[in-house]
Amino acid sequence: MLVLAVDSATPVAGVAVLNRDKVLYEEFCNYKKTHSETLLPMIDRALKVCECTLDDITALAVTIGPGSFTGLRIGMGTVKGLSLASGKPVVTISTLDMLAANALYAEDLLIVPVLDARKNEVYSAIYEFHGIMQKIVPEKTWGTEELVLKIEEEKKSLGKKGVIMLGDGFYPYEDYWRNMFGENMFVPPPHLMLPRAAAMGVWAFDKIEKEDFADIWTLSPVYLRLSEAEYRLRRGEL
Amino acid sequence: MQEVKILGIETSCDETAASIVKNGKDIMSNVVNSQIKIHQAFGGVVPEVASRRHIENIALVVDTAFKEAGLSYEDIDAVAVTNRPGLIGALLVGVSFAKGFAYGLNKPLIAVNHLYGHIYANFLEHSDIRFPAVCLVVSGGHTSLLVMKGTEEYELIGETLDDAAGEAFDKVARFMNLGYPGGPAIQKAAEKGQAGKYSLPRVFLDRDDFDFSFSGLKTAAMNLWNKLNRKGEADVYDMAAEFQAALVEVLAEKTVRAAKKYNAQSVMLAGGVAANSELRRVVKQKADKLGLPLYYPSLKLCTDNAAMIAGSAYHRYLKQDFAPLNLNAYATMSIL
Ligand SMILES: [Zn+2]
Repeated sequence: MLVLAVDSATPVAGVAVLNRDKVLYEEFCNYKKTHSETLLPMIDRALKVCECTLDDITALAVTIGPGSFTGLRIGMGTVKGLSLASGKPVVTISTLDMLAANALYAEDLLIVPVLDARKNEVYSAIYEFHGIMQKIVPEKTWGTEELVLKIEEEKKSLGKKGVIMLGDGFYPYEDYWRNMFGENMFVPPPHLMLPRAAAMGVWAFDKIEKEDFADIWTLSPVYLRLSEAEYRLRRGEL
Repeated sequence: MQEVKILGIETSCDETAASIVKNGKDIMSNVVNSQIKIHQAFGGVVPEVASRRHIENIALVVDTAFKEAGLSYEDIDAVAVTNRPGLIGALLVGVSFAKGFAYGLNKPLIAVNHLYGHIYANFLEHSDIRFPAVCLVVSGGHTSLLVMKGTEEYELIGETLDDAAGEAFDKVARFMNLGYPGGPAIQKAAEKGQAGKYSLPRVFLDRDDFDFSFSGLKTAAMNLWNKLNRKGEADVYDMAAEFQAALVEVLAEKTVRAAKKYNAQSVMLAGGVAANSELRRVVKQKADKLGLPLYYPSLKLCTDNAAMIAGSAYHRYLKQDFAPLNLNAYATMSIL
């Protein structure tokens, strides 16, 4: 069972070719170049190095969001095109699920991936690892203070000794998080801090086995936020 | 003769479109999924909303283009896609999808300039256009004058320095409460009114270059409209007629002046505003005086569509002028 995993949800572009027990190839790019230029050449290299074509792939995996609106659409647009042309099914992975998988085995800690949503907000969800990774608070757009309160509440009720925070939403509010959590906050080393395409495998294979495939005719990213104009329309400003 | 079938994909603004054209001429299918109804609520195209609709619909629109043409994916020879100019987020959906689709089929990819696509719509329907030709490309996104020395050889000689003509139509229609899109709304209102009852400026007509400016006309119209309303004398039909006449006069006169200066053998209109019947009438009148034939695409090919993209990619296919895997999209770019 071979998966081609594609992610461009955040400033990172990532591509991996993997099966259940082996990552065959992974490319990670966090250098400022537009995903639209880098992503397809990355996919091409990944397949070539692994001496395979789309025909050899069981399914494509792509991040469904949250993340940068345009970044999500570049990844999903590319994968929809690949899928339609090859007839290969698509599984979608939450960007936050994918990030949480960088902190497997952190049993004593709450696992909190955060993506920068600007305006003092982050896209986040809360996870705990207990033999398997479980999402205990569903994903949404959080104010930073609101998220801290929720983390404190869950920490107490689950008896966790601290929190591990990761993702690009950590940096803009780093001082604030450090102030709030002090020594009870842990931050992974750089190679585990940002989304890794290979980590999509943690969720993708179960979905493939259950044939939990996306409907590419209607598939759309999960933005967790309306466009600015839609907010204004709702507030009656248009 | 070898048959070349090209799939065209167009997502530069608010239409998700796909089409298959054979040999740069025969339209086998032409699917346009319009978002006009969605953007009506906002009074204009909202880029983020447009991009969201594109990514949702793109696969279905492309598949429908194949079904209507009676072809399977493997039957096409290349994938052509608009990669400039336009709304960047919207363009990126089409470009990303086209790249993935072409790569997955192992077919070459061709990048097309949207403006050139509009011009090419004329060649899809007319085979007797003689060169040099002057072409006015006019729509919600662009107002440009070009001289064509051949189907593929063109030079930009003037363009709008601020708003596009279609944009001016939209904005004026909006403050006159005529609805969206503004072009058809103003044309309809203007039919019941008379130009000349009010007076609006013919901007840049006194200059002998080929550039345009419509933001001043828009402001003048807005001020006049407010003044008339305060006096309780505002007639929406006469106002629409005068605004349309002011805009059309400048477009038509500059186009015909350019035809004279460049010794054109034909005059062409392209783009969404080329569907405006008053523009067609006035340019025709002026071109007739010079004995020049006027060409414009049928209504369906004036507004954004993918047939013009698939068609215009044909000669690029013959030249094997293909785009690389790292093809990007660009919001603005000179026409060349
Ligand atoms: Zn256009």
